[in-house]
Amino acid sequence: MTDSSEPAPDGGYAGATDELPAATDEGGHATTESHGLPPYGSVKRWFVTTNHKDVGILYTVTALFFLVFGGVLALLMRVELFAPGASVLSAIGYNQTVSTHGLIMVFWFLSPFAFGFANYVVPLQIGAKDLAFPRLNALSYWLYLFSGLLLGVSFFQGGTFSGGWTMYAPLNIPTYTPSIGASTAILALVLFVASVTVSSVNFLTTMHRMRAEGLTMRRLPIFTWTILLTVWMMLFAFAALLAALMILSSDRLLGTTYFAVTSPGGSILWTHLFWFFGHPEVYIVFFPALGVMAETFQTFTGRRIVGRKWFIAAMVLVALQSFVVWMHHMFLTSINLQIKTLFMATTIGISLPFDLMVFSLIYTTIKGKVRFATPFLFTFGALILFIVGGITGVFLGAVVLDYQFRGTYWVVAHFHYVMVGGVTALIGGLYYWFPKMTGKMYDEFLGKVHFVLYFIGFNLLYFPMFVAWETPRRVFEYPEALTVWHQLATVGGFILGASFLVMFYNLTRSLVDGEAATGNPWAYSTTAEWAIPSPPPLENFPGVPSYRSGSLDFLGGSGATDGGEVTDGGAVVARDGQAHETGTQAAHAGEPESHASIWPFVLSVGAFFVFLGLSGLQEGSFVPGLAGDVYLALALVGGTITMGSFVGFGLEHFHAPTGPFGESWPFEAVENTKLGVWIFLASDVVLFGAFIGTYVFVRISAGWTGWELVPGDPIPGLMNTYLLLTSSFTVILALVAAEKKSRWGVIASLTTTILLGIGFLVNKGLEWNHLFHEGIAISSNVRTSTFFLTTGLHAAHVVSGLVIAVYLLARAWRGAYLDDERPIEYFGLYWHFVDIVWLFLFPLFYIL
Amino acid sequence: MPSTKLYAGIYVVLFAFATAQVAFEFVGLLESAYWIAFGGIIVLSLIKALFVAGYYQHLRYEPRSITFVVLSALIAALVLTIASSYSIT
Repeated sequence: MTDSSEPAPDGGYAGATDELPAATDEGGHATTESHGLPPYGSVKRWFVTTNHKDVGILYTVTALFFLVFGGVLALLMRVELFAPGASVLSAIGYNQTVSTHGLIMVFWFLSPFAFGFANYVVPLQIGAKDLAFPRLNALSYWLYLFSGLLLGVSFFQGGTFSGGWTMYAPLNIPTYTPSIGASTAILALVLFVASVTVSSVNFLTTMHRMRAEGLTMRRLPIFTWTILLTVWMMLFAFAALLAALMILSSDRLLGTTYFAVTSPGGSILWTHLFWFFGHPEVYIVFFPALGVMAETFQTFTGRRIVGRKWFIAAMVLVALQSFVVWMHHMFLTSINLQIKTLFMATTIGISLPFDLMVFSLIYTTIKGKVRFATPFLFTFGALILFIVGGITGVFLGAVVLDYQFRGTYWVVAHFHYVMVGGVTALIGGLYYWFPKMTGKMYDEFLGKVHFVLYFIGFNLLYFPMFVAWETPRRVFEYPEALTVWHQLATVGGFILGASFLVMFYNLTRSLVDGEAATGNPWAYSTTAEWAIPSPPPLENFPGVPSYRSGSLDFLGGSGATDGGEVTDGGAVVARDGQAHETGTQAAHAGEPESHASIWPFVLSVGAFFVFLGLSGLQEGSFVPGLAGDVYLALALVGGTITMGSFVGFGLEHFHAPTGPFGESWPFEAVENTKLGVWIFLASDVVLFGAFIGTYVFVRISAGWTGWELVPGDPIPGLMNTYLLLTSSFTVILALVAAEKKSRWGVIASLTTTILLGIGFLVNKGLEWNHLFHEGIAISSNVRTSTFFLTTGLHAAHVVSGLVIAVYLLARAWRGAYLDDERPIEYFGLYWHFVDIVWLFLFPLFYIL
Repeated sequence: MPSTKLYAGIYVVLFAFATAQVAFEFVGLLESAYWIAFGGIIVLSLIKALFVAGYYQHLRYEPRSITFVVLSALIAALVLTIASSYSIT
């Protein structure tokens, strides 16, 4: 075990020691006057809260709801598979069950469950009062919840999506999955990705910019490291998925023909787009689990993780490699042998850093003194399961073996050992942080009962699938000889499900009348969340957290260190301001942060109705009859609510945490909002990159030089290029005018920008109208589909920019931006990006 | 930060380059030497993009870390485009 008197040089060493008194009212939370947040017991609180801890709890509870949802679907499947053939569910019912089970577990349960902890714990571990953009954090949650509800609604619209969680083409188009509910399921996923993108921008800004003084990247706790790498992967991978889903939505709602059987390369195109997202998604799901494993291994062995910096380096390597292995999911497709061989090598390569991490965890248990508390039981169990999952996955990375195994239950068993192995660690995380989040201890005996049932159920469920590997995936028929293995799996599934009943009982009972948890119920925990009360007060810390001395100090706060047990960490020191006065402290002394806003909730309600309404579109028109009118009305009402919410967002006085912050590498000189805009634009680069890449792919499939351009004349495109370039120049002039404090200069420049943007849209409208009159429509063929959809997406960006520009103009009219021109600058970043995209769309779609 | 004069100069260059791209087509270079014209037009687009990003978005004057963020995204998109396109050749 690490010597408590010597903080680890490269570790996030916030030794939890003395109990700090919390300046709180009920539930350990501060009073409501200054921040507008209702008390804990109020229902209203949960609709308006933007505090990261509350949002973390909301994520956790909602994710557990989706675990039950997806779990019930899984049990339905296992009941069906008790014997070969469809005897319980209808054939299409089984397909819907399989598909939504996968979608719910991968998207609506796994990552959000991890992000419940991330929301709660990461700001505490890095010494931040909240996330950089608290309202956007609440928005992420509400978009997540409403996207899940939208998926639930899809069951009642003639049946939900039934083409498998991978949504392979051409099963994903209306020809094969014609129900409105299938479209709703895809739109639900689009809404979910919107939530993820907002969340990624927020976490990246927070973790890079808002760390406590002295908390360098090398010292960052490993759980926070895993979340940091996860959100970087999410930012890029989900942008590619968004492109795929937008194209698919267009195929389903507008009638484009990207994935039609007749389109060149349609089905391969989907697999490329999907798996470019899908393989990083494996690590997006698994990394937080790995972080929980590392944290709990340290705490319950009393030993700092062996080879810590190499462990982190291995994770960074995996995060990078994750974007160059996706084609191992496509070995059975018609991609060429050279690329298969290359991706086999990269796939085998990505297993090597994982070997290092696994050995690091094993060696940590050998070097330390293990205590088998419930959290460790789960995370140690997860390590064993992951080793099995990892080894069986290497088989699939070899082209020749993959020819045999692909599409069988070998794959099902393998990825459940990996993915649900990750869930196992996250369940350990739930027990680990339950005392911190609730202030109550769970029942240790029941926790262990849960683990025993869980581990038996898990292996009885999934291991027989390796034995019965010849069972074909996704279907309910299998050879009679394999029946016994499937029956064992079904029994295992029910035991696994029952184990969660024990967990829910344990946690619910503990929440009601459990023993009160101290600030640090675990000996040898080393991260900052254990240095403050359970649950932490609203503002998290009794002073300004600092690691400058090598361990965690609270500077200038009122928290005295009286009482409380001493564990092995460095002392938590509350010093009175004068000794360590810093810029950070000055910021904390300013206007109190806000913690409440209703607009994230209202905006998400609006988005829910917009997407529900859009699901009624087929071939560009709403379905005939009353149903179509209802869908149109829903879209209009939703759109009105959404636009109103944006205005509400803009007009609300909300104080997010402001700097200066302790450590902000590598973005010290970039303000939070500007960094957020740049990170968002990076995701937009991938989105448009995927759209342009799709165009290039389709055109190569069809034969590049034989491709006939849709617009017969480049001049309308050139005119639009002139208009956009000029509008970029006028945005710059607006910025210059603001810097020179010229109100009329700002107004004139913004007005010109808006007129030029409108001119761009009018010119485009005229061009499209001309094409329509020539009989060229979005659904004519894949050539026209790529033209209209890609340039249409760009036009939608122009429209969004114009909405912002009008808002800026209205404020400029009242004299805004003369003292602070940053909003104009940040709008300009977006507008210029839209300009840059056009600089490539113009030659590709009009000239070449 | 650049002067208004420099901003205006860049605008003129961007305007001229856009015109030049269409001129490639009007002088018939696309018919006679498609891939040379292709290269020329794409290079002009790249130069324009660099001007807009470097000066209008001020990337030249921001910390390099911002450039790396954008470049990472660009590389990810290029990896997807190039590898997927190669896979079907």
